[in-house]
Amino acid sequence: MIKNFFRVALRSLLKHRVFSFINIFGLAIGIAASLLILQYTRFERSYDKFEANASRIYRVQQDRYNEGRLTTQWAAGAAGIGLLLKEAFPEIQAVARLHDENNIMSYKEKFFREDHMFYATDEFLSMFSYPALQGSVTGALKDPFTAVLTASTARKYFGNEDPIGKTIDLNKVNHYKIMAVLPDPPVNTHLKFSMLFSFVTLEKFAGPSVNTTSDWDGFFTYILLRPGADPGQLEKKIPALIEKKWGEQLNKGKEGVVYHLQALPDIHLSPTYMVEAEPNGDRKAVSFLEIIALFIIVIAWINYINLATARSIERAKEVGIRKTLGSLRGQLIGQFLFESFLINLLAVIIAFVLVLLFLPVFNTMAGKSLTFSTINNTGFWYTLVILFSGGTVLSGLYPAFVLSSFKPIAVLKGRFSGTTHGSLLRQSLVIGQFVASVLLMAGTFTVYRQLHFMQHEDLGIKINQTLVVKFPRVTDSTVTDRLAGFRTEVLHIPGVTRVSASTEVPGRKVGWNAGGIREVGADPSKIRQYRVIGIDYDFVDAYGLKVIKGRNISRQFADSDAVLFNLAAVKEMGFNKPEEVLNKRIEFWGKQYTIVGVVSNHHQESPRQVYDAHIFRMMDHPIDYNYFSVKLTAGRESWPAVVAAVKQQYANFFPSNPFDYFFLDDHYAEQYRSDEQFGQIFGLFAGLAIFVSCLGLLGLASFVTNQRTKEIGIRKIVGAGVGNILLLLTKDFLKPVLLAFLIATPLAWYILGKWLENYAFRITLTPWMFVLPLAIILVVALLTTATQTLRAATANPVKNLRTE
Amino acid sequence: MVGGKPNFILKDVHLHIKEGEFVSIMGPSGSGKSSLLNVIGMLDDASEGEYFFLDQPVHTLKEKQRSQLYKQYIGFVFQAYHLIDELTVYENIETPLIYQNIKGSERQAMVADILDRFQIVGKKDLFPTQLSGGQQQLVGIARALIGKPKLLLADEPTGNLNSRQGEEIMELFKQLNNEGVTIIQVTHSEKNAAYGSRIINLLDGRIENN
Repeated sequence: MIKNFFRVALRSLLKHRVFSFINIFGLAIGIAASLLILQYTRFERSYDKFEANASRIYRVQQDRYNEGRLTTQWAAGAAGIGLLLKEAFPEIQAVARLHDENNIMSYKEKFFREDHMFYATDEFLSMFSYPALQGSVTGALKDPFTAVLTASTARKYFGNEDPIGKTIDLNKVNHYKIMAVLPDPPVNTHLKFSMLFSFVTLEKFAGPSVNTTSDWDGFFTYILLRPGADPGQLEKKIPALIEKKWGEQLNKGKEGVVYHLQALPDIHLSPTYMVEAEPNGDRKAVSFLEIIALFIIVIAWINYINLATARSIERAKEVGIRKTLGSLRGQLIGQFLFESFLINLLAVIIAFVLVLLFLPVFNTMAGKSLTFSTINNTGFWYTLVILFSGGTVLSGLYPAFVLSSFKPIAVLKGRFSGTTHGSLLRQSLVIGQFVASVLLMAGTFTVYRQLHFMQHEDLGIKINQTLVVKFPRVTDSTVTDRLAGFRTEVLHIPGVTRVSASTEVPGRKVGWNAGGIREVGADPSKIRQYRVIGIDYDFVDAYGLKVIKGRNISRQFADSDAVLFNLAAVKEMGFNKPEEVLNKRIEFWGKQYTIVGVVSNHHQESPRQVYDAHIFRMMDHPIDYNYFSVKLTAGRESWPAVVAAVKQQYANFFPSNPFDYFFLDDHYAEQYRSDEQFGQIFGLFAGLAIFVSCLGLLGLASFVTNQRTKEIGIRKIVGAGVGNILLLLTKDFLKPVLLAFLIATPLAWYILGKWLENYAFRITLTPWMFVLPLAIILVVALLTTATQTLRAATANPVKNLRTE
Repeated sequence: MVGGKPNFILKDVHLHIKEGEFVSIMGPSGSGKSSLLNVIGMLDDASEGEYFFLDQPVHTLKEKQRSQLYKQYIGFVFQAYHLIDELTVYENIETPLIYQNIKGSERQAMVADILDRFQIVGKKDLFPTQLSGGQQQLVGIARALIGKPKLLLADEPTGNLNSRQGEEIMELFKQLNNEGVTIIQVTHSEKNAAYGSRIINLLDGRIENN
């Protein structure tokens, strides 16, 4: 029987090539697109799930409040919270604490700047089940000045040498004995490191307060719960503990601190908090992409249902015959399901080839490296099987039931008027497809417009023509002279206009958060937190910050105790007008500073974020800065020579320091990259979804036109022109488009409004952003149907009628 | 239903057909000939009344049992042949056997037999659209007979054929009847009706004479 079904199905596919093509190709695109997207979103959702203890590890995330108002949110909280929790709650089996370090590491003549290093407590290695490739992890981070390396770091410094027992130098000052080599952390972990030092080393430097203090933030704290312990219950008990231990001190400043337990696998798709080890993924973007994947595949399934039921009149005769030959209804359902199985199978095979072909392109767009081995995992095959069987059943079942329900006598006697059969469903499904298309297109417009808006927003700071060079790490007594010498020499390089040193450059959130700042004499409850940027005398001019009130810091005044506030900081301190803060003195970590000027706000981060409250101040020592900003004359072609000259000077003044540099506009644009990638992926797949809907529309149009050939012939004989016929036929397709528009617009308005809330600086939704998609879809739909209807409208009516 | 009052297509039809008869049902258009044939062929239900087939009360049977009965004993021939366009002559003839769950080797032998008997072996790999009307009807009859039915129902089997083709089909029917197959045909043609052993005239859903 299957053989018979197979023959009929195959011959029917070949006989109706257009329909078969639309069905199979549409499904293949739908499946391929869904597979790619789901492969990507599965990767984003896979973070840290590989970890053996993943279900029991939580990160302690910290929110700080001032007078009840949320001020800062930290990925890495106060130094003392880890041990405090461990001592108070027996359900915590272990606590691991980390503090980040970046510096210049060297072994013999090899030196590199390392950014992803941490001081880690010994518990970290066992909690996160890192095995040792070489050496031993047991007690590896127990003693001061011990280190473990990842395999690639070990290779970088030691080549083929055995690193175990050798020492690696931090800034040529501290020497760490290498205890173990670990495998590289997987790509899908939020905590990637190149090297770990024992936490007790940090204790040696900073004293025992790194284990207890409540006001030094930046300590990653992970807890491992005992099996069966309830994290929700534990989280509820923390406030009482904080009140008991730190309450007195916090209350003095009307401060508050609240801790949340983040399940390890949830971290990557949570918001990016302060001092995050790496920027997190975007949960909303992942969900949006999953919705698109669903849209595309459902649209392809709808095509199948629509075309299958539309063609039911043709198939009705076969159904009638088979019933008179003794077929049961169940057997007919089986037959049509088998056809859907066959079509889906072909689609899946083509989809598989498409995925293999387009994976590299997709990777480039997504900025991921999903490889063929990623494809080779079970999740991929599950998805494939689900899409395949889901498609077979979902798209096959309805047509199968409709077709098998025909009364043989009715269809064989030609008393069957199948035109209205399932047409309501078809109409609804077509409307559904258009709703999805309008949504996706309005979404694409919005995403692109927002991106464009952000890229062209006035940043309030000049980031172009800026070469940024990272500071050397030098500790000897000659450093001040060498820094000054370097600066002077660089200023002499042709093409360099200014040189400025600072602790931050635009392009990321300022890492230096200073709490405990208040006006001299103000109540301790007026303590606020600000982000501090250490600058030199040239910074404001070099970066084009506007001084609104007061003056810039200046060599004239030897301004070692002068600070600048930006407008947001003025507001943070509780003043409305910039002039109100001028010449006020502030308490800043035991010292007093005078506010000499107020500068305008600038976008330190991408316009996705609000303006931050910034204090600009001089650093106490010239080596305390992190970046040289070298301002260049226009004309990119001269820049490589400038870079070479700066590099030469750097090597002269700071030998054994790596020359790390970047152009600031590129660095700044990095922030948009995930938005750009999202925009591209969104745009591409929205386009595909719309394309697949149009395929379906084409099929439907060609079918309806064929069906009405006789009617068109008669109308032409009684005097209808080509225009009348076109209008008649296209009218039917315009109605669903307009109805879809009415449904989609409020939906899109709501969803896109929600999405834009992610951005502090955003475009406003305007009606044309919805009207344009409508216009485009109308044109596309008209063109699609016109190709079919024009053929019918211009055909010779006599010919059509004779064949009847 | 017209105007809320039931409008019977067939009414007060009392009919008894014995095994081995060759009955022709005649009557003007709309008299209910085809409806009667469809009820006999179990393709349609009568809304009232009783129908016994080989002593089985068809009006009380479930779809599955009825289908079983139908598959085993009845073959249908249509005016418009109703072959499946996607299947070859061979496959069209084979299809009823598939629904009767007959094994592949046995099917092959049965189809080969009937192709031989109808002298259409040479056409077995052609598709219906490649055949003339007469040839298509021959395939239709071959298909109706492949399951060795006791009853052959034919709804104007020669209606789409020219007179020579029509005569050939009627000769074939007569021959089949002689071999013991009960035949009921609906026809407009006195000449075709004359091939049968009994004529039933229908008018407005009632039997005029028998």
